[in-house]
Amino acid sequence: MAHILSVRNLHVQFTLRGRKLHALRGIDLDVEDGESLAIVGESGSGKSVLNKNFIGLLDQNGSVTDGEIRYYGMGDKLRHYPGAGVDENGSYIDLAQFKKNEDWLRIRGSEICMIPQDPMTSLNPLKTIGWQIAEALMLHRGMKGKMAYEETIRILEDVRIDNPKRRYKQYPHELSGGMRQRVVIAIAMACNPRILICDEPTTALDVTIQAQVLHLLRELKEKYNLTIIFITHDLGVVANVADRVAVMYAGDIIEIGLVNEIFYDPRHPYTWALLSSLPQLGHRGEELYAIQGTPPNLFKEVRGDAFAARNPNALVIDSLQQPPYFDITPTHRAKTWLLDERAPKMEAPKQIGKIRSLGHPSAPADAGKEAEHADA
Amino acid sequence: MLKYLLKRFARSILTLFFILTIVFVLVRQMPIEGYFPNFEKMTQSQIENGLHQMGLDQPMVVQLIEFYKGLFHGDLGVSRVYNRGKPVWDILKTKLPLSIQLGSLSIVFSMIVGLPMGILMAKRKGKLPDHIGTAFIVLIQAVPAAVYYLFIQLYGTELMQIKLRFDPADFRSWILPVLSLSLGNIAYYAMWIRRYMVDESTKDYIMLARIKGCSEGRIMFRHIFRNAFVPMAQYLPTSFLNTVVGSIYIESLWSIKGMGGLLVDVIHKQDNNMILGIVLLFACVGILGLMLGDLLMVLFDPRISFSKKGGD
Amino acid sequence: MRHPKIEQLEDHVSEALKQDLGIEKLFSVAPFDEEEVERTGDSDYSYWRSTFRAFRHNWIAMALLVLLVVILLFTFVQPYLPGQFDPNTITNGENGLPLKNQKADSVHWLGTNSIGQDLWSRVWAGTRNSLIIGISVALIEAGVGILMGVLWGYVRQLDFLFTELYNIIDNIPTTIVLILVSFLMRPGMGTIIFAMSITGWIGMARFVRNQVLIIRDRDYNVASRTLGTSTWRIMFRNLLPYLVSVIMLRMALSIPGAIGSEVFITYIGLGLPIEVCSLGNLINEGRKLMMSPNLRYQLIYPTIILSVVTVSFYIIGNAFSDAADPRNHL
Repeated sequence: MAHILSVRNLHVQFTLRGRKLHALRGIDLDVEDGESLAIVGESGSGKSVLNKNFIGLLDQNGSVTDGEIRYYGMGDKLRHYPGAGVDENGSYIDLAQFKKNEDWLRIRGSEICMIPQDPMTSLNPLKTIGWQIAEALMLHRGMKGKMAYEETIRILEDVRIDNPKRRYKQYPHELSGGMRQRVVIAIAMACNPRILICDEPTTALDVTIQAQVLHLLRELKEKYNLTIIFITHDLGVVANVADRVAVMYAGDIIEIGLVNEIFYDPRHPYTWALLSSLPQLGHRGEELYAIQGTPPNLFKEVRGDAFAARNPNALVIDSLQQPPYFDITPTHRAKTWLLDERAPKMEAPKQIGKIRSLGHPSAPADAGKEAEHADA
Repeated sequence: MLKYLLKRFARSILTLFFILTIVFVLVRQMPIEGYFPNFEKMTQSQIENGLHQMGLDQPMVVQLIEFYKGLFHGDLGVSRVYNRGKPVWDILKTKLPLSIQLGSLSIVFSMIVGLPMGILMAKRKGKLPDHIGTAFIVLIQAVPAAVYYLFIQLYGTELMQIKLRFDPADFRSWILPVLSLSLGNIAYYAMWIRRYMVDESTKDYIMLARIKGCSEGRIMFRHIFRNAFVPMAQYLPTSFLNTVVGSIYIESLWSIKGMGGLLVDVIHKQDNNMILGIVLLFACVGILGLMLGDLLMVLFDPRISFSKKGGD
Repeated sequence: MRHPKIEQLEDHVSEALKQDLGIEKLFSVAPFDEEEVERTGDSDYSYWRSTFRAFRHNWIAMALLVLLVVILLFTFVQPYLPGQFDPNTITNGENGLPLKNQKADSVHWLGTNSIGQDLWSRVWAGTRNSLIIGISVALIEAGVGILMGVLWGYVRQLDFLFTELYNIIDNIPTTIVLILVSFLMRPGMGTIIFAMSITGWIGMARFVRNQVLIIRDRDYNVASRTLGTSTWRIMFRNLLPYLVSVIMLRMALSIPGAIGSEVFITYIGLGLPIEVCSLGNLINEGRKLMMSPNLRYQLIYPTIILSVVTVSFYIIGNAFSDAADPRNHL
């Protein structure tokens, strides 16, 4: 399968009152065309920062200090491309080299788009729903007047908003949270992007609406052949929508694999800990598993395996040297010394075994996905 | 909507009533000797006679009722000293147009200058225009108006080769008073619009606009500006009051024959009816500004409607 | 607290360990220290330390603060210095007549005014009195305002009364009240302080009232209370930092405001009596002479000191409130 986005050794630092915070510490990641990838991790693990790089929305005090973000989705458009960052062969464009806002204007919306976290505050309160969708049509597809109106109505129907002609004239405050999330999705669809980043798309919604929104996103992905990156800390969402999962900890991807590999055969102690803390795995009468301590302070240099200090079974070498990636299968790899042949044999906690019995991730959806992989 | 307007109106009347009553009571506390130019030479009975003629010997409540009776019929009473025997309203009528012209010119001017200034500062936040603007705002807000009015008069008239005394027929004569009166409001508008624009620009919906691919210029003018402008409506009343207060000083400084200069004059002369009449007008200006601000809010913000506000 | 030296030492130890340890040792399970774990993400944040650090970084505000303290001290020390005149005494020249409009020289450092009083000592006496007025008004406003605000917030029966009062005071130009009260009472420092404080406290009271309501209702305070935190602790830990910064800002801004109002009210002729020196009186005296360019210094000197004082208070107040805002901390 072809890559659409390749991140190579990405380092991002923030400067706060003269101190440097090392938010991303050498990320390597390939996003494949048409897949849905979930990035999971605690708050502060860097998953949002990573994605903000793809769309040029890093805060003012943050900057890429090293690495590349290769975007392969532009194709022929790169031939007479006026901006910075184009590869010699014209096969990709390096987003990490962008300096000016104009460079990003060619990417944002039309190539890569994002659905922000909170639909309640993400819409302009003083403009109608219709105006806000039509604006995207005007910017990216040059539509105006009646044409834009009709396309807007079509998109509103696409995201399953009832009575679109009436909604067109309504203001955001007249809509419920779930409806607003659909409008935000409609704006993203109007941009017609190749990659859609969903930043915690369901955290602000209640549970019944969550399922509907996820279902809608899956539908749209099929219809428009979208590549979707989900940022989430909700493993339920991951099981529901993702083909692959990347686990982030302290500004690095410590394990990545197909959704089944991560859920059924996790290898990194942090992934173990993360999965063990799923409430569904708790035993009546026993205390629910919780990871001790807090993530490391990224103002200080992290030595060795960032998770070592919180890992009761850490090896001596974990606190001295950073582990490289060890491949488990062609699709599954993890950064932990436990995979080194010299390391003692260590079993995953027994709760992890129970995941299979929970039926997570949902089997039918998965069978379909595996078939897809086989096709490719 | 009608219910809201009625409620708003009733509140304003109540507020006016309180203000007038308080000022009425305060005015009645003025020293008796102030009413008679040759107080020392007067006998006790002469004084009592004089007070009786002015109705000041009656109990306060009776005087108050008399005053409101008159007011209800649109009668503000007659001037006692300033223009003896002439109805207060007739005097104010001749003074009012000049003050209104000056005040409205100044408010319009300060918006025309203050708003773009604030927008520019927000757009170039942390850069030179922002620093210059901030220095201007600090200077205007920190240095008492009473002081910079003087210096504008002093050096402005020298520079423009005009007289210190205001002449309504001469166009050049308007420039400096209007400018002086506007500086405070210019700083005020610029400060708030800058602040709201900076606040708005960090909001989530601006991030979505950016994600959508809007250029920075488009974000500034199509998304941020209107959202930042709406809360500005609440500062309209204050700027009305600023103008009124400023005019008291400016008008007496430039000898402008308007309402502001008049107030100081009639307080010194203890012309009670005149004082009350002017205070009534000033309070009306304040309340007018408040209603205008509310109206603007409703016009620009779909989230606020008359019916909702009325229901609070 | 981490220290570079400790960091360095740790590096040495780990280097040494790497060399000494065999492969088996490296891949053995390390001892696990639970306390160490809880320390990993620890931040040594302290609100007040960060506030003062942020304030110290603002060098303009720091410089003005030093300047203001020096001015304040000097206004009180100045009368006791050698070679000073009494601000109200008229100096007579050798011919027995008052030394009017004398240019600055070694005796009269800033010259004399139109009736022969020493301008240098008048400027400092005026600054002293204006500062006393400004600081008194700010203190009264803060004291009364906080007290009334707490009452307004806690005693629900008083809410209607206070809200009405606020609406009224907010709707009339407070200058009218200032003028009327100054006219009714005997001119003097007390009158002017009273007249300015009579309307000023309500703004502070409203602010405090809103904060009191917030203590009751804000989510994090409700959460804190559910966890068993006492009201006092909530007030000190959750509320005071926010409150102090705004109260300080309001006080810092009402000082230049009061000094300015004094100038205004003196101009109208309702201010301090002539024998009480104030910046308002000095500027008013200077104003009368401003059309003769060679006497303009009598207006300009008091104006300079007035501007320095008011601008300093304004900038320091703003800088402190910025520094006290936790969002500006690290």
